[in-house]
Amino acid sequence: MNATMDKYTAGFGLSLAVTSLLNAILLLVKETNAGLMNAMKAALGHHWTTHGVIILTLFFMLGFVFSVTKFSEKWDSGKMAWLLVFTALIGAAAIAGFFLPHLPFAGGGAK
Amino acid sequence: MFVQGLMFSHVMFGVLAILFGVALFTDTLNACEANRERIKKLSMAVAVFLVLSYLIGGYWYVVFYGAERDIIKAGQWAWAHSFFMEVKEHVFFVPLMLGIYAPIVAYRNDVCRDRGARKLLLTVSTLIILFGIFMEGAGGIISKGLSMGLMGR
Repeated sequence: MNATMDKYTAGFGLSLAVTSLLNAILLLVKETNAGLMNAMKAALGHHWTTHGVIILTLFFMLGFVFSVTKFSEKWDSGKMAWLLVFTALIGAAAIAGFFLPHLPFAGGGAK
Repeated sequence: MFVQGLMFSHVMFGVLAILFGVALFTDTLNACEANRERIKKLSMAVAVFLVLSYLIGGYWYVVFYGAERDIIKAGQWAWAHSFFMEVKEHVFFVPLMLGIYAPIVAYRNDVCRDRGARKLLLTVSTLIILFGIFMEGAGGIISKGLSMGLMGR
């Protein structure tokens, strides 16, 4: 039986889960929206730098916000572990899936 | 030598994060009073190595990678950039945040007595190791993509 979680472990765990998915969503949106891509390039000189600053800022900000909510009383470490596995894998799979057509077997990049 | 040093450091800190991640996993699996402090230090080391790898690799990517990208994209392994680099540079944020999260779990919980916290830290370290191995493999393919591009010139 898992005990109630520490508030920062719960808060930053939930933030990690949310930002793992937002990371993939931001990628999909910027790659399909030239306006956003250009804005991100203009903001900090390179879209990837801006992407990183957005994701890490969200991670810390949401982490502290979730830590002061009563979220930790409703969750336990076991559920959090599964949430992190699912969101990390879904986020990574969404990114890989988006670029998959570039692989040779999918018809991309072959010369 | 500056660029080579950057690349070496980026890969080295990534490998160190994986190795310390394995040590963190093993120690957490056998968590007891004797290794409690070591678990905390290992989790902090994983976080520091991942952040260093991110900052150094990020600087190299933004400042120096452009010329190499053009060579890769003109070569036989264009997908080394258009798939592996694109995936690597964006997926990297997940293990980076996992690495920062590891010391929060290790320092804020008693992993020796709390089975749930132990399971959580084992999960976090496992994900760091698996994502880290993918990063190293993708880095190898990107380097090979550059070689293929240069060979075609």
